[in-house]
Amino acid sequence: MKSVFYLLDTVPYGNEKAFGALNAAAVSLSRIDVTLGLYGDGVYLVIAGQDSRKLGLPNLADILYAYGELRVLVHEPSVVERGLFGETFIETLELVDEEDFFEVMESSDCVISF
Amino acid sequence: MKTLTIVLTDGPYISEYAETAYKLAEAALQEYKVNIFLYLDAVHIPKKGQDPSFFTNAGQLFSGLTVKGVIIRACARCAAARGYLPEEEIIQGSNCRDYFPGIQITSLYELSEMLSESDRVISLSR
Repeated sequence: MKSVFYLLDTVPYGNEKAFGALNAAAVSLSRIDVTLGLYGDGVYLVIAGQDSRKLGLPNLADILYAYGELRVLVHEPSVVERGLFGETFIETLELVDEEDFFEVMESSDCVISF
Repeated sequence: MKTLTIVLTDGPYISEYAETAYKLAEAALQEYKVNIFLYLDAVHIPKKGQDPSFFTNAGQLFSGLTVKGVIIRACARCAAARGYLPEEEIIQGSNCRDYFPGIQITSLYELSEMLSESDRVISLSR
């Protein structure tokens, strides 16, 4: 495998999936091309200014931002459906339409979903 | 020989994925070197002492796969979060006293190694 697409479609907090996807993507960067695709509720991960301190959890958007070399695709229709288009997002992402999102997904050697 | 890696994130019995992975791995062994990486709740699969009553014991199934040559590894962070700790000594192919033989706790970096050396990857997750 030369490329992997990690697909996340769940919210960043309340379960371990987003944290798990971020960790898996981070450790894969040294060996293969990595794309993190955010779909459905997964798009909440890229909203800037999250404050997770009361949850006792790390700010996952900050962690994602720290991995600048990680390609992050955000499914734009999911953003629109959730009324998030006016929000400020972290800077290291690509907002893409459905066609482009699935094109990158299909062109990756493998897809690992969370 | 080609390599297949199966990535699991579900624990046993909450879904059919553990059993499905077992069947896929066993069938694939005829043509592939097979790896299974246990991530998130899937690190519960190899726990010893399971008594699922109406289901097949997932830990036994996976331990049986290691006897046939399947490499099964569990994420260290996920395992520690759920109370499974690795030890230095490897006994019966396992570095965790709570796990069935043949299954080891390892770094998440081994997932990226498995992916990079694989010809096929199957992810089973809800």
